[in-house]
Amino acid sequence: MTEPLFYRLPWQSGSVYPGAHPGQMTGAGQLFKRHEPLIASPDPRRIDIRATILDPFGNYRVRVYHQQSSVNVYLIADLSASMGFANKKSTLIQFLLTAAHSAFGYGDKFGFIGCTENRQHQWLLPPGQQLGSIKSLVEQIKTTRFTGTANGLLQAAAYLSSRRSLVFLLSDCHFPLAQLREILRSLQGHDVIPLVLWDQQETTDLPSWGVISYQDMENNETRTLFMRPALRQKIIDTYHQRQLDVKHCFRSFGIEPLFINDAYSTQLINGYLHQRAA
Amino acid sequence: MNLAVDSPWLLSGLVLVLLPLFNSGMRLTPNPWLTMIPTDSMSTLLSLLLRLMAMAAIAGLVLGMAGLHRTEQSIERIGQGAHIVILLDRSNSMDNSFAGKAPSGKEESKADSARRLLSEFVSQRKSDLIGVAEFSTAPLFVMPLTENKQAVLSAIAATSTPALAYTHVSKGLGMALSFFQQQAVTGSRIVLLVSDGAAAVDADSEQKLREWFKQQQVRLYWIFLRTTNSPGIFDKPLDSRDDNAQAMPELYLHKFLSSLGSPYKAYEAESPNALRDAIADINRLENLPMYYLERVPRLDLTDRCYQLALLLMTLLLGVKYFEVNVKND
Repeated sequence: MTEPLFYRLPWQSGSVYPGAHPGQMTGAGQLFKRHEPLIASPDPRRIDIRATILDPFGNYRVRVYHQQSSVNVYLIADLSASMGFANKKSTLIQFLLTAAHSAFGYGDKFGFIGCTENRQHQWLLPPGQQLGSIKSLVEQIKTTRFTGTANGLLQAAAYLSSRRSLVFLLSDCHFPLAQLREILRSLQGHDVIPLVLWDQQETTDLPSWGVISYQDMENNETRTLFMRPALRQKIIDTYHQRQLDVKHCFRSFGIEPLFINDAYSTQLINGYLHQRAA
Repeated sequence: MNLAVDSPWLLSGLVLVLLPLFNSGMRLTPNPWLTMIPTDSMSTLLSLLLRLMAMAAIAGLVLGMAGLHRTEQSIERIGQGAHIVILLDRSNSMDNSFAGKAPSGKEESKADSARRLLSEFVSQRKSDLIGVAEFSTAPLFVMPLTENKQAVLSAIAATSTPALAYTHVSKGLGMALSFFQQQAVTGSRIVLLVSDGAAAVDADSEQKLREWFKQQQVRLYWIFLRTTNSPGIFDKPLDSRDDNAQAMPELYLHKFLSSLGSPYKAYEAESPNALRDAIADINRLENLPMYYLERVPRLDLTDRCYQLALLLMTLLLGVKYFEVNVKND
């Protein structure tokens, strides 16, 4: 496996289990959190003499520290037909493995929620730390041909834990913006990292001249186009405008999306994650 | 336009015309989201055109196989002219010259002159219905009344074969009159009798001819090609003993025809020029408005169907050549 994802949380995880991220729990950490009475935190080794002397009520004061906590990492993946285009699927698999490995490396639990037309339990993986189940999931994804729309994304939030989690949202966002807003609204309780997966073949690698018959992968509608430079530019402009619109939509929820137009690489996502945490 | 087909059961193949509505015949390139492709009127027009072309090509092939044709039909026309039956004498004497002997050198036989001048006459008459009949010992049916000038000219030209036997006018006239039996009376009806001699008309025929001339309202023009030194139409008998139908058949035929009660005019032509004058005279006289049906022959449209299909398929093949092949992995 290549480089893992260095995701750092700009918020405190509420998980009680120790892990690698800033948490809300007190425990065996390095960072001082507050003083507590000895009765609340019965650890005589941590008695702070200075604080005890200064205490007007004469109680013993004990230092307590932040506990590094774990976090649940989810990957919500759009498994609609359009995600089968070009090498989006292999990107999805690659990212799924990288994310799972990274989460296990941090000691976090990793869950997968695959969204198709309607909920399908075969694409649900509850948070866990078993690499084997991830592997079998990958095999399943490899052999399956994606069909239908991404309407299942609307129900994805129901499968997340109620505690704030880190959610990677991997989709090509080929659905109306209203649906995207609906999805983001349902995910507001979580830390969402949207990865918008586009392929150059759909956006910029278009023929300049010729007749081409396109078939929509999701609703099978066909359209014959007489391609010429003007129309090609028009399509590229439309995608550019779409990118701006999608960005705007995410930003209205306080989220900055990452567009993966070119070749996928872990460095690209790590760069984005660094910017985000800074 | 009356269109018909030879094998109607093949028209069931027209169902195939709907095929292009279901399959554009183009290689389909998957696209993740067509909504992102802006509507382009030129592309819409092109795809519509391609479908129509494919449908028309299939229709053309099917109709071609079924044998599409336009049925024979008649067109009503109104023109200046007449229904003319040319009644030609084919007796032996017609092959002689006006001098009464076998033509030699540049001399022209009476039949040749008549043929030449009648051909000119027919060519001049644009909108007539002309029929041709001949007579010798017995009448010969050659060509019914038709507006097809080519056929009439050919029929006249066909009289260049050597002449037959004697002159039997009454049978010939009967035949000529029978041409009008199935025709509506429009314009004038003319029998143009061209002969160089006459024969006595027997009483039975006389009776019938009188009756028919009345019924058919036919005008008769007789161009008598008079051989030099032979008795003419208007000659009076010198001897009262010769004053009978056997001795002077021309005079008696003229008398009989004059007494028919229908318009009748006789020309005595003693040379090709006189013959031309006589024909010009008739040409001038007979120009009454008339109504007739022009027949248009069946028109085979199979070739056009195949041509259309070929053209469209070539165009479609051209478009196919310009199809973009996107390699998708």
